Amino acid sequence: MPHAKERMAGWRGAVLVAVTYIYFLIFAQFGFLARLASLGIADQPLKAVLAAMALGGAALSLAMPRLRRWNLPDARLRAGLIVCAAAALLSLLPLDVAGATAVSLAIGAGLGVVTVTLATHLRRWTGSGDALWMAGLGTGVGYLVCNAPALFNAPARVQALTAALLCLAGAAITLLPAQPAAEPRPASRRDGLPFGYALGCFAALVWLDSAAFFIIQHTPFLKAGTWAGALHLSADGLLHLAAALAAVWLLRRRGLPLVLGAAFAALGGACLLLLDAERIALASALYPVGVSLYSVALVAYPSVLAPAATAAERGRRAGWVYAVAGWAGSAMGIGMAQNLGHVPPGFVLAAGVVVLGPWLARLLARRRREATLTAAVMLAAFCVDRMLPGEKAEAPQSAVERGRQVYIAEGCIHCHSQYVRPGSPDVTMWGPATNLEALRRQQPPLIGNRRQGPDLSAVGGRRSPLWLKAHFYDPAEVSGSSIMPSFAFLFSDRRGDDLVAYLASLHSAGTAQHLAEERLWRPSSAAVARASAAEGERLFLRNCATCHAGNGRTRQRWRTEFKGLPPNLSDRPFAYLPPHESPEEDLIRLEQIVKFGIYRTDMPGHEYLPDEQVVSLSLWLTQMKAQPLENR
Amino acid sequence: MDGSMSPLMREASLLGEDGGSAAAEAAWHGLFWLVFANAVGVLLAVLLLAPGLNRLLGEWTYGRWVMVHMNLELYGWTSVPMAGFLFRAYGAERGPLARWRRPVLWVWSAALGVGALSWLSGHSSGKLFLDWSGYARVLFAAALLILWALLAMALVWNRRAGARASAAAWAAKVAGLLLLLAVPFLIYRAASPGIYPAVNPDTGGPTGTSQLESSLAVVAILLVLPLGLTRRKRASARVVAMGWAVLAAESLLCAVLSRGNVSHRLPVQYLSLGSLLAWLPLLPAYYAAFAWHPATRLWRRAMLWWWAALVVTGWILFLPGVLDHFKFTDGLVGHSFVAMAGFTSSLIVFVLVELLGEDAWIFNRARSFYLWHGSVIAYIVLMTAAGWREGFDPAFTMVPGPERNTLYALRLVSGVLMLAASLDWLVDATKLLRGQPPAWLDVALEKTA
Repeated sequence: MPHAKERMAGWRGAVLVAVTYIYFLIFAQFGFLARLASLGIADQPLKAVLAAMALGGAALSLAMPRLRRWNLPDARLRAGLIVCAAAALLSLLPLDVAGATAVSLAIGAGLGVVTVTLATHLRRWTGSGDALWMAGLGTGVGYLVCNAPALFNAPARVQALTAALLCLAGAAITLLPAQPAAEPRPASRRDGLPFGYALGCFAALVWLDSAAFFIIQHTPFLKAGTWAGALHLSADGLLHLAAALAAVWLLRRRGLPLVLGAAFAALGGACLLLLDAERIALASALYPVGVSLYSVALVAYPSVLAPAATAAERGRRAGWVYAVAGWAGSAMGIGMAQNLGHVPPGFVLAAGVVVLGPWLARLLARRRREATLTAAVMLAAFCVDRMLPGEKAEAPQSAVERGRQVYIAEGCIHCHSQYVRPGSPDVTMWGPATNLEALRRQQPPLIGNRRQGPDLSAVGGRRSPLWLKAHFYDPAEVSGSSIMPSFAFLFSDRRGDDLVAYLASLHSAGTAQHLAEERLWRPSSAAVARASAAEGERLFLRNCATCHAGNGRTRQRWRTEFKGLPPNLSDRPFAYLPPHESPEEDLIRLEQIVKFGIYRTDMPGHEYLPDEQVVSLSLWLTQMKAQPLENR
Repeated sequence: MDGSMSPLMREASLLGEDGGSAAAEAAWHGLFWLVFANAVGVLLAVLLLAPGLNRLLGEWTYGRWVMVHMNLELYGWTSVPMAGFLFRAYGAERGPLARWRRPVLWVWSAALGVGALSWLSGHSSGKLFLDWSGYARVLFAAALLILWALLAMALVWNRRAGARASAAAWAAKVAGLLLLLAVPFLIYRAASPGIYPAVNPDTGGPTGTSQLESSLAVVAILLVLPLGLTRRKRASARVVAMGWAVLAAESLLCAVLSRGNVSHRLPVQYLSLGSLLAWLPLLPAYYAAFAWHPATRLWRRAMLWWWAALVVTGWILFLPGVLDHFKFTDGLVGHSFVAMAGFTSSLIVFVLVELLGEDAWIFNRARSFYLWHGSVIAYIVLMTAAGWREGFDPAFTMVPGPERNTLYALRLVSGVLMLAASLDWLVDATKLLRGQPPAWLDVALEKTA
């Protein structure tokens, strides 16, 4: 492994790669589009302007390596960078469609010259340094800078100026005297991919990337979930940098196919996750990883990894990669995103076949017997499954039966038991003891073996359907410190309502008797001695205010669906306390309501609170009752 | 075989010319599922500490992942490696049928993969450890049938090829084959929602009879294993006979016990379960009656110690009062770790070490051995402590608090360590299959030579 000093010897190469990426990402792909929008260029004219950029880029990418005259790498790169800088500055003028098209053409042309020249002669600017390392570092730093909140959120004109200045700085770097280039490392067997295959892989990845980028950019809630906030942007930038450096390590250790495969896994996964609004956060972590992995390869493959006998051959290959994979792939991705609004899973699969196909084909060729037997058994099992009548014929019909299937499907059994043990503390907390005969008639009984949440065998008597629904939407909002995940997604179809119907149907035979026993419940004297109204106020805010404060979130959200709107306890009477009772009797009744709720209303119990907290809460409520907040 | 294996290693290795022995292949598949299931376990531990992360998982929330974790530990890690034992016992690791070993393992792993996807997609029978439903249920049974078919063909081929074995040995193999044939159908049937075992009315859990039945099935397996793995030492017939006699006596006892929904508070229930304590001295004596490969010493000891811990704690946890305290708590999660991560894992590795012989270095590295056992013990202690607290206050693990969160954070750390140990084994198993053992092994072999 080269030493750090040797590695940094090629800093000019890294800077030039970074400048190229920054120009392309923050200006050509981002700031310029915002500028066009501010100029009122949209719809068909916008497509024409962007097509000019793709045309300029693809044409110059293919033409540059074939241009025999003026074959001076420094001069070519300098000229390309100056054209890029000029185009960025010109974009600040009040352009019409024709002017914008010309500028767009210049952006594409400049980038075409810069990318192909840089890839063809990267070693010229990395000198004795490690070219692969510089390509990765430059890519990672480029993405990091683009994700810097100050630049990312800056006005289009600042982004254009920054891009132009960086291009001019890059052009200045090319004036420095060239260093002797390091000997190219021997081509690895892993990197010597057939050129057509590599080209196809890059095209598929750029296509996926461009489509995902366009969708995120034009979907407000996706944008909010992926690029919103300084913290998020900074994290994205660091992820890009880390993935770029990881790409270098992987390219060196495991070769190009693995990097391309990993990039596909991350990018394809992100595209699939973007289909579901619930999974945006995960998509936003995968997307930068996939992008940076393949972006490093996109620089490293034509410049360092692919074997080439002459600079001309290297240049021609680079030209094809950037024209076909870069410009055409990008245009196709954006077109797909514009027309469909999403990346179809079928396309992700097709991209997977392109990227992983040869690897899979090799694996299957080596493991033909394994693959054949596995496929045969899977097919046979499929046929048998179709033929078996089994439980499929007995599809549940009622909402309660369907809800029970949802309960099973979601694995509720792994946190909630449905068995109240006779003569145990379960009875006080969760209802009458379970009737074993009734339980055994269920198919299957859903007893469970672990409680991460309360027993549900009689939950229909303890919680109203509204409470259950609100709790599924946002457990922590309704139930202070609940660790249950949100199941809001179930309400995108009928599963949520079915599950609520099922849980609401869970009653025990001895409910009347149990209610009578609840009226006899008293907290322990030790708990009464330790309780305090001050603690009660804290508990009120955590557990009760969501319904019983005027601005409580649950109260506001479900306002129209309560059987009766929960009283705002700061100014309303305590309707369920019988009149003319002594303060002591009021306190006991309040303690029972806090612990067990109010039967047949939306008021839930708080069975999980220790007695001390139940008394503390009741003490504070008693004070509220005596002196409502508004009178204090 | 890869050229990177030294002549010394090549001589010592049992790996066949086709790139891997039956045991190494079965070990690799089992370890792959162990690593996968352990990673899911770590995810679950994280979700219990930071439930907000469920939001990132979309519909694949905690409950669905628990199914994946539990079933892959059972049907992946603790089951697939036993295919290696069966290949050895039925002679499927040599001859023309040997080339079908790997395809059979692929089918099994494919069935597990389909099962995992089906659980994540919300398909389940609703029965713990028998969550198979729909297509995955048929496919898993088919995978087991394919394994059985290979074993049956291997038996027939060996018989025709004139393999030497006593009549009793042939009869035992045929009887074993008939028993194995029932397994896919039993699992398919048992996954039906319409079938449910007897319930202890005081806890909602299994009865003492059920537990005795399943424990005796494990004992039977433990008694059979040495017969298919190695040879008996001279002058040990009495111990072996005694083992089988005690199993027969306990089976008779079990047969006369009630099969209904009976409580653990009945003395006959907990006393009959206590009969398993007889295996505390008996099992070590039984295993000492067989000639084992020297490389098995570490894991054989570990297995026997875990067995003792399992029998003793299992019985104590069934006693009236104790079971009432720990039922539905993390205490029983800790006990399930004694059973699965402690005893069963040690048994599986011990069997694999015996099968692998000189290639067993993948399991005998000190760092992974102590990492695994240390973290399993830590996990059990933590869960027992949590269960103890939960027995007094059922809300202890439902409502996050400093004490609960500390225990769960430490549990996460021990889970990560278990994952690291299993990953170490998987990496080494991959190297073994590729014929790329580490350099230190060559040095060690030279010293030994």
